[in-house]
Amino acid sequence: MPPARSERRYVPIPLWRRARRIFLLAAVACLIPAGVSYVSAMGEKHNVGLGVSSVEWMRQHGGNSLVSQIENWYYTLTAPEKGGPPLRSLPQVGLGAAGEEGQEQSASYQPPNLKPLIRPALPGEGVWKKAAAHAGPRPPVLLATFRSDPEYPQFVAGVAWIDSSRTQLAYVPGLAEPPPPLSHRGPAEVPAPQRKHVVATFNGGFPLETSNAGLIYRGKVKEAMVNGVATVVEYRDGRVDVIRWHQGPGAPANVWFAKQNLPAIIDEGHLNPHLSDGPEWGETVNNAVRVWRSGIGVDSHGNLLYAAANFQTVESLAKILKRAGAVRALELDINEDWTSFITYRHPGARDPSNLLPEMFRPADRYLTPDERDFFAVYLRAGEKW
Amino acid sequence: MSLPRDISPGTAARRSLLADLLLAVALALLAFKLAAGIGVVAFLALLTTAVLLLWIGVEAAVRRVIRRGKTRRTRRQRRPSASSLRP
Repeated sequence: MPPARSERRYVPIPLWRRARRIFLLAAVACLIPAGVSYVSAMGEKHNVGLGVSSVEWMRQHGGNSLVSQIENWYYTLTAPEKGGPPLRSLPQVGLGAAGEEGQEQSASYQPPNLKPLIRPALPGEGVWKKAAAHAGPRPPVLLATFRSDPEYPQFVAGVAWIDSSRTQLAYVPGLAEPPPPLSHRGPAEVPAPQRKHVVATFNGGFPLETSNAGLIYRGKVKEAMVNGVATVVEYRDGRVDVIRWHQGPGAPANVWFAKQNLPAIIDEGHLNPHLSDGPEWGETVNNAVRVWRSGIGVDSHGNLLYAAANFQTVESLAKILKRAGAVRALELDINEDWTSFITYRHPGARDPSNLLPEMFRPADRYLTPDERDFFAVYLRAGEKW
Repeated sequence: MSLPRDISPGTAARRSLLADLLLAVALALLAFKLAAGIGVVAFLALLTTAVLLLWIGVEAAVRRVIRRGKTRRTRRQRRPSASSLRP
């Protein structure tokens, strides 16, 4: 017969079980505000998958070093092996070799073809090709591919050369990057009136949260500039450069936009001697980890050079840009989700094409609103296709 | 003022749960204070919740299996054998 209610005694829960209960309740209590923040963030407009958005949410809410650490483990575990069967052909990029249009060669500067690193060279390796149809004798954008690392003969790097005398660079803010508040954010895509002039678009570099660097947009400081950090800068007269910033935190009167990202990887023709990891590279995937990487530089004539490839370290990326002729350069975005270089083969942003076919994001990425900021390359006023 | 001591087992259990809940909230606040951001807290909380729920689940399953085994054994012992039923 069970004891009467008054006779029953409370048997205390063992201490370890109470501790477990406390931790479980604490974890649930933590998940409630985090869940509210996460769900509201996921409810906003996105053009990336839930997984990528979740990782971005983590990064934006103090989890940057944690995400970077996990990425480091993942990429180290899945690192490619050296060697492998040789490639028989390179991916098709561009539309025929530069200066092939049955017209006389222009007297203006065109970059020399890239010398292949691996012999025998594959057909078209390192040869500059026009990015657009009917681009005339002075194509504004040239594309080339080559195998950039003899130890990894299967990896192909894509390089783009942008004629600064025919084009104008624009910095386009994304939906979420740079973060609010930002006046004149714009449509986060190539604006409709500009589409008839757009020849290329490419990814804009680390988010401000992770780059720990500055941004000047439309002549105003969005985030204080940091001396010594590599910077893509456009002056009010339309000139573009990649420089090491030494002008203090404010916006100089002659600067229209300036975006900073990490230390320079090439400075005055030399690779940065500190391309291995160090605190100056911030909380990101280790420099020696092989992953999709992209970078931008300028050649000795002031023209822009963009490079991207999978399975690159910071050093191998710098070597690609140097081989393409860059005298100053910085690293832009890494990871397949953020690396994009898109050319438009016909006026009106028609027939977009990725620099490398294995680029993960679709070629119409910047023709719809994008999360991240990017750069758009327009033909200058008066220049025709 | 002191809390009444002569209470029913149910009240004692509820009182213990309330104390644990208050401690848990304090722990959560401390986590938010110390962590770099809500993202890190969420990640760790999610891991903790998953591990603890798994632990509780496994424990409950093991306890159920043991109890079922005991019940079966007791029933077998209680059931009269066929020979004992013979006249």
